Amino acid sequence: MVRRVTIKKKQWFTDEIFGLEVHLPNLDLQPGQFFQVRTSTTYDPFLNRPISIASYKGGRLLLIIKVVGRGTKMLGQKKVGEDLQILGPFGKGLKLKKKKSLLIAGGIGVAPLLFLAQKMYGKRIEFDFVYGVKKEQALIKKSHISQIARHAIFVAEQGRSKMTVLGALDMLDIASYDIAYACGPTTMLIELQKLNLPIPVYAFCEDFLGCGCGLCLGCAIMYKGEYKRICEDGPVFELKGISFDE
Amino acid sequence: MIKLFGIIFKNRVFIASGVFGFGLKYKRVSNQVGAIFTKGITLEPRKGNPPPRVFETASGLINWVGLENPGVEKFCEEILPKMNKLHTKIFVNVAGSEVVHYERIVERIGEQVDGFELNISCPNVKEGGVAFGQDPKIAASVVARARTKTKLPLIVKLTPNFCDPLKIARVCIAAGADGISLINTLHGMVYDTGRKRPLITGGLSGPAIKPFALYCVNRLQGLGVPIIGMGGIMTGQDAYEFLLAGASAVAIGSAILRDPYAPLKIIRELKKMSNKNGNS
Ligand SMILES: Cc1cc2nc3c(=O)[nH]c(=O)nc-3n(C[C@H](O)[C@H](O)[C@H](O)COP(=O)(O)OP(=O)(O)OC[C@H]3O[C@@H](n4cnc5c(N)ncnc54)[C@H](O)[C@@H]3O)c2cc1C
Ligand SMILES: Cc1cc2nc3c(=O)[nH]c(=O)nc-3n(C[C@H](O)[C@H](O)[C@H](O)COP(=O)(O)O)c2cc1C
Ligand code: FES
Repeated sequence: MVRRVTIKKKQWFTDEIFGLEVHLPNLDLQPGQFFQVRTSTTYDPFLNRPISIASYKGGRLLLIIKVVGRGTKMLGQKKVGEDLQILGPFGKGLKLKKKKSLLIAGGIGVAPLLFLAQKMYGKRIEFDFVYGVKKEQALIKKSHISQIARHAIFVAEQGRSKMTVLGALDMLDIASYDIAYACGPTTMLIELQKLNLPIPVYAFCEDFLGCGCGLCLGCAIMYKGEYKRICEDGPVFELKGISFDE
Repeated sequence: MIKLFGIIFKNRVFIASGVFGFGLKYKRVSNQVGAIFTKGITLEPRKGNPPPRVFETASGLINWVGLENPGVEKFCEEILPKMNKLHTKIFVNVAGSEVVHYERIVERIGEQVDGFELNISCPNVKEGGVAFGQDPKIAASVVARARTKTKLPLIVKLTPNFCDPLKIARVCIAAGADGISLINTLHGMVYDTGRKRPLITGGLSGPAIKPFALYCVNRLQGLGVPIIGMGGIMTGQDAYEFLLAGASAVAIGSAILRDPYAPLKIIRELKKMSNKNGNS
């Protein structure tokens, strides 16, 4: 069902990343879930855009969006007070275990991990947060992350640290964690897979979606030898099981 | 309620093949539409194509799903029993890569459904990948051979790619088809300018193809069998236009990708339009 919600708040974190806050009370939302967002009331762009839950608190849903193309640009032009049409939540939510966790965010991949961190913080699950971007200015929500994570590491390829998020993992004793969650560009996930970390890693995956709710078979990821739906079986999969080249 | 092929349907709004899985997820929608056309079923399971499988284009999309489906055996064993609990009519969309596949699938499914829709837009492997539905002789033989295996309604879904749907429709009806559905997706392509090669080649659907779909439906008027019209239907008004152009029923496809509940809205809107215009 299409929900019509009003944009209560809008904030530009950088010149390409913005947040939209809407009021959507009484939902049981889990990390990993996302909404399908309409960019236009006309048929062009035709498809909804999947956007993760970045925060959900007291009925206020925050979406953090990076402008990468036409649809996200149109969303960036929306103003406070305007309506937003969204469908969902979709996607299999994560069931959190009380395990010492490592969160690995690359670029806008930070969005769903912020919500994961929020949930873990609420459940008193201990976690460290490694977050890397290309340019220093693109790091968002730094103080918030520092507040709720046990340790937070921020790196930028073209910043003072001159380091990628995966490079930053070298600074950690990975075996001291029970589990890791990673979200970022597919190139990052591929490199992370090659590192073959000694703990289970759960990856938040991306593809271009059609329906976003398991109907059209328009999204696919090769997982343990068969195509799975990113939108319905995921979007979170154990990294080990994914074949990125199929 | 309407009667077509001797069957009573709740209404004239059906769900097109491939956009609603097997109708088991949004049952409230399934139970209110006139009929559901399943995802294309092949003889053997198919794992489908690697991603990306969809690409948005102006007012529509190109899909290259590759007929991912569990194959007829698993469909009959595991899915059909669940589908048969739905309160709607079930039509199985049949796909093949050889002429004999169609009749075998129809035969295997037997009487467990309300009818069949032969998707003859598939590439015919033995004829170098040219679609069955592009060649009148081959199209007719697919239909004639499937006809010998079932008494249930046999609908042929036409591909208006590189051929005149009127010509193909006539031979299919002569070969025993009870109805025609159209249009299937149109050939489409998106280019990757960076790599100087196609990024995706597949089937174009959505509002972008509606004018052509209407033209095709209109062209088939007066053939004497029910026509199921589809292609870019987003609203009750769109559906009404297809009925005026000669369709007995319409099917909703890509609209569902924007909203799984779209068929319910279209049913309501169409009812209003029809009442206002004194039709039913
Ligand atoms: C589950 C999930 C959660 C997500 N969460 C977030 C989030 O919280 N925040 C966020 O900012 N983003 C998120 N994304 C990504 C976001 O959905 C996309 O960035 C957005 O849909 C892009 O839309 P657009 O219209 O701006 O770009 P588009 O114009 O659609 O695409 C951008 C570029 O990709 C190319 N492209 C488009 N379609 C294809 C295709 N099928 N194959 C190959 N290339 C293509 C285009 O040519 C263009 O160059 C998420 C994605 C998924 C799957
Ligand atoms: C994602 C997707 C999958 C489809 N799969 C099938 C299929 O398996 N068999 C078939 O006959 N048609 C298939 N179609 C075609 C539709 O049933 C319909 O004929 C076409 O999309 C035109 O209608 P529309 O513009 O309303 O989508 C598919 C269409 C889409 C968008
Ligand atoms: S986008 Fe339609 S099934 Fe995943």
